[in-house]
Amino acid sequence: MTTTTRRPRTIYTNPSRAARPKPEASGRERFWWYFMRLSGLALVFLALGHMFIMHVLVELTGGEIDFAFVQSRWGTPFWRIYDFLLLVLAFVHGANGARIVIGDYVANRTARNFLIGSLLVVSGIWLILGMAVIVFFDPNTAPPVGPFS
Amino acid sequence: MVPRGERHHLINLFGYRVSWAQLAWFGHRASGLGVLFYLFMHIVETSTVLFGPEVYNAAVGIFKNLPARLGEVVLMAALVYHALNGLRVMAMDFWPRLTEYYRPLTYGVIGATVVAMVPLALIMLRPFAPWG
Repeated sequence: MTTTTRRPRTIYTNPSRAARPKPEASGRERFWWYFMRLSGLALVFLALGHMFIMHVLVELTGGEIDFAFVQSRWGTPFWRIYDFLLLVLAFVHGANGARIVIGDYVANRTARNFLIGSLLVVSGIWLILGMAVIVFFDPNTAPPVGPFS
Repeated sequence: MVPRGERHHLINLFGYRVSWAQLAWFGHRASGLGVLFYLFMHIVETSTVLFGPEVYNAAVGIFKNLPARLGEVVLMAALVYHALNGLRVMAMDFWPRLTEYYRPLTYGVIGATVVAMVPLALIMLRPFAPWG
């Protein structure tokens, strides 16, 4: 009754089972498979660096995140490019991840297409808003414009 | 009954026997979706910078209290875990021989997240701590 099977040396026959197997056919899904990994590698440094600056260094140096902080930060092209890259990579990475999660759980084709379509439209609007803020913020003319000033 | 040799990599979660690999996979999705949700909010909050100092300082002022700070600690934990587990996934994808060590690697990711979060949470919560 006791059948002892030898435990396989390799736990996963497909090494990618920890996440998503690499699509066999080349094409759009293979591109996204590579995109998630490459953008993820960049985001390890960009996103963790951003969190480390904003929540650890600012705290340790007794600084405060307010308008003057953004004014001085976005006064330099380096941080604008950094934040722009972080925004685009994080948003596309996140939206594609949500698309894959929807695809895994929503079996009904109409519902799935509707959800993924809505996700793409909303994400597109948000991403354009975010990019516009980083590009068009002007440290010199920012205070006098706007409805509340 | 789970065979003796298999038992130690399963944990009991609300009556379900879940392997660490399944938990790591679920955690990766949950933390990713959580960070994406925060990102939507963060863009709205930051876009108020276009309306000048009063509006922006009021907008970021909403997040300067203990409940919001606790949320930021959760965000930090989600991001640290997602980053470390993502590095594990990438390593296993590009060096398939590493899948033999998937279990110690998973333990390492979970352990490193917990260890990293101790000083990070202490620093982040310092302004609101009774001793701070």
